[in-house]
Amino acid sequence: MKEKTEFLEREYKELEEKGYTWVIRDLLGPSDVHVNVEGKECIMLASNNYLNLANHPKLKEAAMKAIERYGAGAGSDWSIAGTMDIHQKLYRKIAEFKNTEDAVTFQTGFAVNAGVIPQLAGKGDILISDELNHGSIIDGVRLTKADRAIYSHSNMGELEKVLQDADKKNYRRAIILTDGVFSMDGDIAKMDEICKLAEEYGAMVYVDDAHGEGVLGDGHGIGREFDLEKKIDFQVGTFSKAFGSFGGMLAGSESLIKFAYNTARTWLLSAAFPPHVAAANIAALEVVEEEPERVKKLWDNTRYFKKEIESLGFDTGYSQTPIIPAIVGDSKKAKELAENLYKEGIFALAIVFPMVARDKARIRNQMNAGMTREDLDKILSAYEKLSTKLKLV
Amino acid sequence: MTSKIGFIVNPVAGMGGRVGLKGTDGVVKKAEELGARPVAPIKAEQAVKEFLSMHHEGDVKWFTCSGVMGEDELKKAGVKDIKIVYFLKSGEIGTTAEDTKKVCKKFLEENVDLVFFCGGDGTARDIFEVVKDKTPVLGIPSGVKMHSGVFGINTSASAKMLHEFVNKRLTIGDVEILDLDEEKYRKGEWNIRIFGVAKGIIEPTYVQVGKTVFKSVSDDEIKDELSEHIADEMNMHPDYLYIFGSGGTIDYIAKKIGVENTLLGIDAVYKKKLVGKDLNEEGLLRVLDKHPKAKVILSPIGAQGFILGRGNLQLSPRVIKRIGLDNIIVVSTPSKLISTPVIRVDTGDKQLDHEFAEKEYMMVVIGYKLSRVVRIQTNNF
Ligand SMILES: Cc1ncc(COP(=O)(O)O)c(C=O)c1O
Repeated sequence: MKEKTEFLEREYKELEEKGYTWVIRDLLGPSDVHVNVEGKECIMLASNNYLNLANHPKLKEAAMKAIERYGAGAGSDWSIAGTMDIHQKLYRKIAEFKNTEDAVTFQTGFAVNAGVIPQLAGKGDILISDELNHGSIIDGVRLTKADRAIYSHSNMGELEKVLQDADKKNYRRAIILTDGVFSMDGDIAKMDEICKLAEEYGAMVYVDDAHGEGVLGDGHGIGREFDLEKKIDFQVGTFSKAFGSFGGMLAGSESLIKFAYNTARTWLLSAAFPPHVAAANIAALEVVEEEPERVKKLWDNTRYFKKEIESLGFDTGYSQTPIIPAIVGDSKKAKELAENLYKEGIFALAIVFPMVARDKARIRNQMNAGMTREDLDKILSAYEKLSTKLKLV
Repeated sequence: MTSKIGFIVNPVAGMGGRVGLKGTDGVVKKAEELGARPVAPIKAEQAVKEFLSMHHEGDVKWFTCSGVMGEDELKKAGVKDIKIVYFLKSGEIGTTAEDTKKVCKKFLEENVDLVFFCGGDGTARDIFEVVKDKTPVLGIPSGVKMHSGVFGINTSASAKMLHEFVNKRLTIGDVEILDLDEEKYRKGEWNIRIFGVAKGIIEPTYVQVGKTVFKSVSDDEIKDELSEHIADEMNMHPDYLYIFGSGGTIDYIAKKIGVENTLLGIDAVYKKKLVGKDLNEEGLLRVLDKHPKAKVILSPIGAQGFILGRGNLQLSPRVIKRIGLDNIIVVSTPSKLISTPVIRVDTGDKQLDHEFAEKEYMMVVIGYKLSRVVRIQTNNF
């Protein structure tokens, strides 16, 4: 052997030099519209907490009650002895909410993709993936022995060419995999066209709606939005974003769920999430149904902010959702802007090359239903001030 | 760290174009008589100026030739720290291939990190003859023909690439040097040959490891994956003849599989054995007679991403028709697809080009069992 652990420090330093390292800032309190970041009061623009449920009293109450009743942990893997009736109740709630036959949860959304995709395809199959899909889909796809094909982001012409080519090559199965809402640009997958092409060529459809749940289709997600709940074969999601809690979900046919129970390694070989997580998740879905004004408010905020930031001269790219990028171009500029926003009491995330193209570095603004007009105006005036100061637009 | 840039201008590159000559090799006088004016010095100066506007001069050291072959342009652009490595005799314009080569020899002695030049395919070829794959080469396009993979798409792009290279954000990879056989061309024969595989400046291929943490994957790692893919393919269809195209990527794959491939030529392999080496059109047709079931493995070549029609005229329309469009396997490193996001075809046969055009897209293998859709462009662009 040539070396031991010295590579850890060396490679970390290399990343640091390139500016790729992640600065972790601690929140001293709940994730809400107004947060305390290491002692500094900030407006949160970087969380996935779209419906502001993370600190919602009903979710908290449900979680506390579940702790009282079930304890702090599930005690086992889901498969052996970790599944409680409250988990089962959640599965039924998800299936009802997603209008599917059945559903199951995983530790996280990541765990769904990493565990389920590898079981769906093997040698002689093809997995067809949008180039901007989330890393967890990419990893799931990498774990299979199937052929893999990539099409340019949301390019349906290219998708059709892949399907035609696959058709000629006589694959056993083809699955089209896509994010529902793309997390860097905030644009929506062309679900109707994808499903149409899938039907035409006999392919299946796998959607990860992590950023679409709670946002699209009155909060029910991309299936409801496009009226395709029964057409999408595999619906993946997470409770960690708009639903304000934690945990991944898989919804679809009864046979899909039975299959997943018995094959997905991330489900079989890893512990169930604690019962209070299940309780909070149930409460989250109930709140979305009981308080439709939340989704509405999220969209009001989205429309207002998008219009105003565009009128300040910022390019918002292809945004169609509460993810609204402000594209500034150069990576350095984006980082500088994020730092300056922070000084102004706004917590925002710069997204830079190679996450996005070299000249498309940006701040990713994420809307929250709990933001008031005053909050939005404060953010916008900071943008206005900084765009002159940093000569951005 | 200081970057050492060897800078050289071919002042007469591009003169022929305006007066209808392809290239100026050996016909400078004629071009001048026809009223051609030098364009390369202006482009070279412009590129350096643009580079300087992005960059502060401190960490770059320039090496060049006296006078119009580099010194003048650098000075006009405002560079002060210049080392002249080669002096033209006074009064000499310095335009011959020999001058270029002599300057490049000096660059090698000075151990420059990059040869940054302004010229066309001919200039690239002259530089390559000396530097080979020892030093990377980056060109500001100023010739009539820029098929070689060493060029940026225009003056600004080349300046930006230099900037990114100096900042270590771009990396080094294989690029093909191509050139029109000028003698043949003036006799009416069109033959772009592949001249060699140089080191060029390429976009690294990144894979995401953390949320914002990316690791760049070396081109060789990708080519290993491509080799594995092709090896699998050959195992799956052992009854097929495999024709290996030309260029750096294919050469790497062939060698990895254990085939003694010709870097610049076309070879045929059956059951993992070489059954035809450096074949011409006739040779190819002959092996195809023997093995009618065949696949051909191609990779985009040069600055424009040609898979057919540049650097591999042996793969003539007759040969391609015999193999069949569906039996073409295109492989590419992702970095190549960044610089040439379309693949081009110019077979010289209208009907065949049309068939390619109708396909619109091609599946290009970019990793082990990993492919992506790439648009095809035929001759009419
Ligand atoms: C499309 C997509 N899938 C999955 C995830 C991960 O979800 P989780 O936090 O539940 O692992 C994310 C969030 O980053 C995502 O954007």
